[in-house]
Amino acid sequence: MFMRRLGMAWVWLVYAFLYLPILVVIVYSFNASKYSTAWSGFTLDWYAKLLANTPLVDAALNSLSVATLSATLATLLGSLAAMCLHRYRFPGRKVLHSSIYVLTVSPDIVMGISLLIFFIALRMELGFVTLLIAHTTLGLPFVTVTVLARLAEFDEHLVEAARDLGASEAAAYRHIILPLTLPAVAAGWLLSFTLSMDDVLISFFVTGPSFEVLPLKIYSMVRLGVKPDINALSAVMFGVTIVLVLLAQALTNMRRK
Amino acid sequence: MAKRNAFRNASIAVVALWLGLFALLPNAGLLLVTVLQRGEQDFVEPVFTLANYARLFDPTFLRILWDSIALAATSTFVCLLVGYPFAYRIAMARRSVRPWFLLLVIIPFWTNSLIRTYALIILLKSQGLVSDVLLFLGFIDAPISLMYSDLAVFVGLTYTLLPFMILPLYVSIDKLDRKLLDAAKDLGAGSLRAFWHVTLPLTMPGIVAGSMLVFLPSLACFYIPEILGGAKAMLIGNFIKNQFLVARDWPLGAAASTILTLLLVLLIVAWWLASRRVAAREKHEQDAALFTEAG
Amino acid sequence: MQRLLATVVMLLLWTGVAVSAEPKVLNVFNWSEYVPQTVLDRFTKETGIKVVYTTYESNEAMYAKIKLLRGKGYDIVVPSTYFIDMMRKDGLLAKIDRAKLTNYANLDPRVLHQPFDPQNEFSVPYMWGNTGLMVNRKVVDPATISSWNDLFRPEFKGGVILSDDLRDTFGIALKALGYSVNSTSEAEIKAAYEWLLKLKPSVRVFDVTATKQAFIAEEVKGGMSWNGDAFIAMNENPDLAFVYPKEGLPLWVDSLAIPIGAEHKDNAHKFIDFLLRPDIAKLCVEEYNYSTPNLAAQKILDARHAQSRATSPTDADLKNSEFTNGVGKALDVYEKYWEMLKTAD
Repeated sequence: MFMRRLGMAWVWLVYAFLYLPILVVIVYSFNASKYSTAWSGFTLDWYAKLLANTPLVDAALNSLSVATLSATLATLLGSLAAMCLHRYRFPGRKVLHSSIYVLTVSPDIVMGISLLIFFIALRMELGFVTLLIAHTTLGLPFVTVTVLARLAEFDEHLVEAARDLGASEAAAYRHIILPLTLPAVAAGWLLSFTLSMDDVLISFFVTGPSFEVLPLKIYSMVRLGVKPDINALSAVMFGVTIVLVLLAQALTNMRRK
Repeated sequence: MAKRNAFRNASIAVVALWLGLFALLPNAGLLLVTVLQRGEQDFVEPVFTLANYARLFDPTFLRILWDSIALAATSTFVCLLVGYPFAYRIAMARRSVRPWFLLLVIIPFWTNSLIRTYALIILLKSQGLVSDVLLFLGFIDAPISLMYSDLAVFVGLTYTLLPFMILPLYVSIDKLDRKLLDAAKDLGAGSLRAFWHVTLPLTMPGIVAGSMLVFLPSLACFYIPEILGGAKAMLIGNFIKNQFLVARDWPLGAAASTILTLLLVLLIVAWWLASRRVAAREKHEQDAALFTEAG
Repeated sequence: MQRLLATVVMLLLWTGVAVSAEPKVLNVFNWSEYVPQTVLDRFTKETGIKVVYTTYESNEAMYAKIKLLRGKGYDIVVPSTYFIDMMRKDGLLAKIDRAKLTNYANLDPRVLHQPFDPQNEFSVPYMWGNTGLMVNRKVVDPATISSWNDLFRPEFKGGVILSDDLRDTFGIALKALGYSVNSTSEAEIKAAYEWLLKLKPSVRVFDVTATKQAFIAEEVKGGMSWNGDAFIAMNENPDLAFVYPKEGLPLWVDSLAIPIGAEHKDNAHKFIDFLLRPDIAKLCVEEYNYSTPNLAAQKILDARHAQSRATSPTDADLKNSEFTNGVGKALDVYEKYWEMLKTAD
């Protein structure tokens, strides 16, 4: 019992650690001083400026759409890859497995430049599609590694039993493997989404003027100092996320009733 | 029979195609660049040379590599220490609340990491929150700044990479069969022994996965040591970026990247073999224990 | 048959129209926060051309991308000093048609005809600045500071800030020793490295992005700072002072250029001409606090900026200062010593 209490205390401590900087961001979005890290007065100016700053808001929306799509694609491909690597034996399996790890290690700049050269060779126009491909490739190995870890503890007997009862391979995947690895798959999706929302270097090289994303804008704005209007944007995005999560919570509760 | 093969073959084909096109091909290109010569007009010239690799065997580069690995390894270890108890406690919570706990972990990370890093500055700086708290608690006499130090870099790296440790750990611990733990306790093992001999080995895949997802990106990460550490040391991420952008020596940058990859693949393979051997041994021991219990 | 003919004629007319007039779009590739949104909006209002503004955070990244794209995709880029040289030599820039620029005469001859573009055929200066020495009054009396070598004074111990840009930092070291910031001599560069190595124990941070915050929060006691940053920092913290060392400083200028593969060259020229208007240039300076190459704008600056030695240095301030230029193959030598400096304890 004591261990459980201690454990919970640790959990809350870690949460405090994780959320403290967020709190700082939100608080400072109301800071009247543009550049100083000291507090100099309360103001809503930055939120007003944010509403007027359409390029920034557009970039934020772009980032969200690419992140969602690429995370979903990465999760689909990544889970499939994990399953293939775990269940099947085929020529080139080791190569595939190693290339997953190589991708996790790949420095962003290397990936960015090599993909750019690849897209240029294929005469593709830089924009949403090239960014989507790049971010999917970025998130894929993280999904695979997470799902593989789960599969490593997977009980093969379940699938054997299903197969004995006449289920096809596809059905076994859909009804047994996927549901049981769902936590890992979901975790992979979350990781991919985060990676995409944060990526700077790869995005810089593979996107074009038609599709500007938020991290790029932020990274170059930072050159002149993080100003409170970026904090305001982050606070807004954070607020929206919380609202969505609460909404989802309410919906699940409603369904149960 | 045919249906099974179709699904299997289609899956492998799709995955192989994607990885082949977007991972293997560009990396093969990179490998090629490592043995070419740096160009004057273009970035590379089609002249074969091994000089790039030779140039990496100099003390400066080896020092950079060592510093980076030490930093990444320490951050990974800290993440593990912080993340394991956290993931464990959440996995032991009521089933209905577990997803929410996880979501709460990930939500902060949807705020851009650069902005959060700058927010850390406000906490760590002279007369910042941490300094004020320490002053208040009487641990220090005068305001201090934690900025531009190794400590600041560790805090930053741990902060940024924690979910990459927690999520795989949770996934692994969650799958743990409680009955094995109960069996161990029944056989007289104390909590600590149960943890060491049952829980830890069984959650090893999660630990390895989490460690890799933290160690590898922290090697390539350059902006946290720059912003929080004051950029006083050069790490492998900065080195490679410099070669590609500032020095415009693509072959050298590519060679450095390749050496890094090679080193890490070796590390991963070593881990892999070790964990498989441990897992096989533990499984053998567990099977024996269950067999005797059943029998 | 008639229908076919009509369709063909319509298609020809349509393509003819599309080809003859440039679409009203301009793709600007620039540093973030380097052209005020109000300026961009006014440009769109007056000309009807929509501005798509994408950003980069370093010359090097911009250069790599433009080079790989062979100059296509963007209509305006804003390289600094020696990057214009490199891009010009690589054939990545288009010649600028001076006839289309009615406001060209406003430019300050001091900033024109630089070695990286002697005839200004490929670039038009937009903003220029310098990297000077900022100190905190609480640590030293600014009147006693006159040289880069003053950074070695015991009052600055452990609180020096240097730039994380290798050319800038080596630049001040070379200046401190009496050499040129564009030195290609290995002996001189090595001497600069040794000067920096001696200073390193006192260096608290190498920075480019958060310099003013570091000074405002008093995390550092003295060191390098861009003049625009200094203007802002001095405003927020009156204890700060900006000094022009007697040995001179590295100067930089960011110029507007048109990549060779730009699809809207006409619009690009209109944009450049727009930025050369004194009233527009004035807005830019007052927003970002750097120095303007536009003499007409300089005359109508507001008092704060016109009198600030940071934004509007005098000729005496800039004695011995030089623009940072390309150094060719010597860059490898700089890079080698930079790595050694960073890995040294």
